[in-house]
Amino acid sequence: MTLEALKLAAADNTWSALYPELTLGCLALALLVLEVVLPKRLHPVIPDVAAAGVLGTLVGLLFNFHSVTLGADTFNGLLHHSAAGQVMRAFFLLGALLTMLLARVSLARQPMPRIEFYHIVLVVTAAMMLLAQSNHFVMLFVALETLTIGLYILVSYYRTTTASLEAGLKYLIMGALSSGLLLFGIVLLYGVAGSPALPAHSAEAMNYGELARFLAANPHNFLASLGIVLVLSGIAFKIGAFPFQIWIPDVYQGAPTPVTAFLAVASKAAGFTVLLGLCGANGAFAAYSSLTTPVLTAMAAATIIFGNLAALTQHNVKRLIGLSGVSHAGFLLLGVVATAHSSLAAGAIYFYLFAYLLASFAVFGVMTHVAGSDDADQELDHYAGLAKENPFLATVLAVGLGSLAGIPPLAGFMGKLFIFVSAFQAGARWLLVIAAAGVVVSIYYYFGWIKAAFFETWTPPAGSDTPARPTPTPPGMMAALALGALAFASIALGFYQGPFGQWLTLR
Amino acid sequence: MGPFLFNLFAVFSVVCAAGVVLNKNAVNAALCLLLSLVGVAGLFVSLEAYLLAFLLLLVYAGAIVALFLFIVMLLDTKGDARPTLHKLPLLARVMAFALVGAGVGSFVVRGQLESPDLSRTPALGASLKLYAYQLFTTYLLPVQILGFLLLVAMLGVIVLSKKFDGLDDIK
Repeated sequence: MTLEALKLAAADNTWSALYPELTLGCLALALLVLEVVLPKRLHPVIPDVAAAGVLGTLVGLLFNFHSVTLGADTFNGLLHHSAAGQVMRAFFLLGALLTMLLARVSLARQPMPRIEFYHIVLVVTAAMMLLAQSNHFVMLFVALETLTIGLYILVSYYRTTTASLEAGLKYLIMGALSSGLLLFGIVLLYGVAGSPALPAHSAEAMNYGELARFLAANPHNFLASLGIVLVLSGIAFKIGAFPFQIWIPDVYQGAPTPVTAFLAVASKAAGFTVLLGLCGANGAFAAYSSLTTPVLTAMAAATIIFGNLAALTQHNVKRLIGLSGVSHAGFLLLGVVATAHSSLAAGAIYFYLFAYLLASFAVFGVMTHVAGSDDADQELDHYAGLAKENPFLATVLAVGLGSLAGIPPLAGFMGKLFIFVSAFQAGARWLLVIAAAGVVVSIYYYFGWIKAAFFETWTPPAGSDTPARPTPTPPGMMAALALGALAFASIALGFYQGPFGQWLTLR
Repeated sequence: MGPFLFNLFAVFSVVCAAGVVLNKNAVNAALCLLLSLVGVAGLFVSLEAYLLAFLLLLVYAGAIVALFLFIVMLLDTKGDARPTLHKLPLLARVMAFALVGAGVGSFVVRGQLESPDLSRTPALGASLKLYAYQLFTTYLLPVQILGFLLLVAMLGVIVLSKKFDGLDDIK
């Protein structure tokens, strides 16, 4: 390699294309510096600095949506900047902002250091944003590991409770296993695509474009198929699809509630952006759709059935929302299956993710306020009589759960409708029947929760004289504003999709 | 000489790997792992992948096995206090045998991999200089991200293990 070629490669590192990620990285470092520099009484300001920085980045991103690098490859093909990537960047920033808001409420009850939490959330968010734009397996793996390692720490952050530590350990072991599967798949693909004995082999097979060219030239290679299945398995772990969902209930229950929300929404969305990049209409695995479509179809069906049936029997709300999240992963997988034959499908997935973000954070916001000092112990019974004690929280909860269940006219209903229409276009009829049955089952357990909040009254369990139930914290002004905005957006997005809906249909 | 050395190292690393599994003492098992890794490094040397061999020695044999030994000695496990193994369920046994069978089978049949003409394969990253050039030009962004990864990991260790004032840890 000559010096000129090296200079050329270095010149392609367009750092300005990454200004949101760079801002987050610098902000994360600045938080640590502020903690050292500022006197102790000013420390409560630091989370506000973090939130303001994320909000500023989000606004900057939205104003500069059509940036100069849109549609281009930068960093020697490591990254590809697309409109979908921009939308997902905004998604992760919004998720991080809401997670920080919930963390302020939840961390106040725990005797834990605060600043590190925000630092890790910022770094994880930047990693997710890079993941959504990665066009290369090295980039994918590095970003994925950064976000996973950050999440290991966040999950076990409430280290004074056994539940949180147990969740962290379980997540660490299952996460390591899934990373191993993913890496094994990547190495197999790289190895077989680099073999000079095969047509269209490439030394740069980590690049999605090169890999797609190789796969198109070798449509029935056994090792490539094995690699693809292993990569899909690794991603299925991250999104919690059947049969890789076993870690979900324990980890979701043990993790601090804001982290559970972050895991459920942002981490799942990150998995789906990767899946869309690989198995979507122009993805790297497009030539092997005869393999990926049946695998994903079976996975979607099993995920919807398992998630809904398992959620039916739960009494702990964190386990319930975790298992219902599994069924949401199933609905999203249904959309991924449809991408091969429906132009609407990719947009439908993004819309569903946004509706899911709004509804989930509304529900998790209420959960954070209802929870007591023991973060893992949040039972359905604790919600009895919430409507009388705090009508605002109960209303937000009802809107969020209704949107998750897909009740018209809320945003969740439109999300499910878009996904189902695209699945219908793609001709996945029997999968649609399973999904519709799944929706009906999900309404049962979501409404069980709403019923507890509105129509039941709290009676202390017989034989105990202390009321073993945490009293809900009334939300502060910022939290109330955010929760109200989430509930309002869930309703408004159901009626009017605006430019966002246009963007979906014009894609 | 070449095939002889290759076979020697291959047998050596397999024997040591068996030692890792069969040893009752955890320290001995970790040392067997070290020897097994040295054997694999020898394999890489005989395949002329010097960089890979030295990285393996430095990272795995040097750092990771030393870490294992530290942990094992900190925990002070005795080799004799080993719980009896549970009987595996039938499904697990069948699957384990199938996996071993598949492994041996693919070894005998040599799988579907045809050995490529090595002289035509570009040896990217085989020498340290080329590898470093790649790291600092094409893969600069992942290297920077790994810096953040290490920072986050370090912060995590501090947050999850340091003694803070007014924090009652579970015993």
